[in-house]
Amino acid sequence: MPSPDTGHPASLSRTVLLQEIRSLLLSPPLWLMLVVLSLITGYSFTEAVDIFGRASRTALAYPELARGMDPMEGIFVPTFGAYYLTETLLLPFVAIRLIGLDKESGALKLLMQLDLPPLKLCSLKGLAMVLVWLLSLVPILLVTLLWLRAGGHLHPPAFAAMLAAHALYSLVVIAVAMFCSTVADSLSTAAILCLSFTLGGWVLDFALSGQNALPAVIANLSLAGLVRQLENGLVTVPGVLSFLFTSLLFFSLAIIWIRPGEPVMGRLFRSLAVVILLAAGMVIGWNAPGSLDVSEQRKHSLNPADCRALRRMQDPLTITMHLARDDSRLLDLERGLLVKLRRCLPKLTIHYAETGETGLFEAAAGDNYGLVEYAYQGQRQESYSNSENEILAILHDLAGTEVKPEPVPTYPGYPLVTDCTGCGWWLYFLLPLCFACCGICCRKKL
Amino acid sequence: MSQQSRSDALHVERLGKRFGTLPVLSDVSFTTKPGEILGLIGPNGAGKTTLLECLTGLLPLDTGSISWQGRPLSRDQRTRIIWYQPDDILPYARQRTRTTLSFFRQVHGAEQDVLDDLIGRLELAPVLARPLEELSKGYRRRLNLAIALLSRRPLLLLDEPFDGFDLHQSLAVMDLLRRYRKRRTMILSIHQLSEAEKICDRFLLLGEGRVLATGSLSRLCDRTGLPIGTSLEEVFLAIT
Repeated sequence: MPSPDTGHPASLSRTVLLQEIRSLLLSPPLWLMLVVLSLITGYSFTEAVDIFGRASRTALAYPELARGMDPMEGIFVPTFGAYYLTETLLLPFVAIRLIGLDKESGALKLLMQLDLPPLKLCSLKGLAMVLVWLLSLVPILLVTLLWLRAGGHLHPPAFAAMLAAHALYSLVVIAVAMFCSTVADSLSTAAILCLSFTLGGWVLDFALSGQNALPAVIANLSLAGLVRQLENGLVTVPGVLSFLFTSLLFFSLAIIWIRPGEPVMGRLFRSLAVVILLAAGMVIGWNAPGSLDVSEQRKHSLNPADCRALRRMQDPLTITMHLARDDSRLLDLERGLLVKLRRCLPKLTIHYAETGETGLFEAAAGDNYGLVEYAYQGQRQESYSNSENEILAILHDLAGTEVKPEPVPTYPGYPLVTDCTGCGWWLYFLLPLCFACCGICCRKKL
Repeated sequence: MSQQSRSDALHVERLGKRFGTLPVLSDVSFTTKPGEILGLIGPNGAGKTTLLECLTGLLPLDTGSISWQGRPLSRDQRTRIIWYQPDDILPYARQRTRTTLSFFRQVHGAEQDVLDDLIGRLELAPVLARPLEELSKGYRRRLNLAIALLSRRPLLLLDEPFDGFDLHQSLAVMDLLRRYRKRRTMILSIHQLSEAEKICDRFLLLGEGRVLATGSLSRLCDRTGLPIGTSLEEVFLAIT
């Protein structure tokens, strides 16, 4: 039964999309967010350039130190920190308006009567938010131009991974905000719910890292942890799937809860079904193989010869750690070698042996504290070392192989001493002013 | 129980709605004829708005069925037949009146002539360039009415279309509704009985979620034993 109102469906979708974009461009929180983003991006960038420049001065005198000067880590990771803050604290206030404001003003009651199913309506709202979100890339693009103009180095794949990290995280925040505004009575309640999620994820990552067992797993899988992983140049299938599944979960819930005229019990059952389905997908996704090291120095990869040899170890390899989860040696291993081993070894199991909780200055619980045991095909070796070369030698020995590392180009490092005083004008004055003027123009023109 | 007929535009059968354990609508049944203006009248809290939202599908029905021209209507189908204009809403408050009207003209697939006519008849021209949030209550009401009349759906549900208008404006709106009625049916939820009497062909009196009476004014007079020509106000008082 076609609606007499219905024109061409594509034209209706286009009209609604344009209306959503117009609404967002007229919302003061958007422009305020962009002004604040410009300021804190500017601050993070100038501080990073200053610190990087000071470290570079020493590094220029000592070539060994120069190899540690990575602009992606030294400049762009801290600069993108401003984006993480904005996405966590400010983006929810913009995104909740997509549905929350329409709910408060009564526009949603009219939109729900259009010939647009909830899926399409939510998709159009989400798409409008994503398109408007592109404006937030202006500060980082400006910063990148300033950095390149100053003679700085940029590794495009790592930069793309950083952008992807924040695009994916923003997507999750937008989906969460849409869901929160469908279930909340008012914009303020929706904002509290959404901030609980984003800040909760942040606190979770902060509070649980360095803990034992389950909390550590949760911390590693928190969105903040996954953003960090991508920022460090490690793109993993489970990481990307986690972002996508989380977005899909909240987006689906938003579709279920925005739909009017349906009993609450029906919505609850549908929500439960979606949660179960996507949770199953997420569990499968977490175990999906596949990762890409996009860092220029390939810091998440072993030497190709080592990696090939390890890939041939088809039987399970078990590593037992007699180290407390907050021990710096274990943290070094976790961030360094274990990441690389997980990428090469098909059947790697890591056990964290019970070490007893020891305080910072207390004595270790057992005699074997600090020991790491390696078991493969019934053979066993142990070591107290956390040196990558020594551990690899043990593993090759267990596998009965001898590996001669392939020559790989050495990462030269990119120290740069530069003065960024001119950048301040752009980042603290011109760009925020530009955003403020755009906000005023939109108000006048739209 | 009312009998369904193909000559009925809308047929509502034993509609029921509860909010938690509180019954808001019980056994509401009625029909409308094509081209008719039905006045939904009743005291505050009688369930008028809830009934309109249930008819549109914005609220779930607990019991009952709705059909259009003899065919049952699912929730999705209802949103293709019915356009409901809620009371006291302000969609897209930061946008200009012109932009909002143009948006609804496009989504309703209405001609520009229709919009121009509505702008003229509702005297919206002076506020076209102003954001909705700056409009007075009267202009907001007129804008809402324009949005509703841009719709080409055969059944229009208007919640309190005369609220906030003075006598002259109310008469102008009545004239407009008669012009835009054409071949479609309208259900108007009205609490000002004098206005309802002037424009509606028939009335549905609701009280505490139940249908107290339906029919034209003369039929209601008959039912209450009041002489023909008695005002709707007196009939209403007699029934409630």
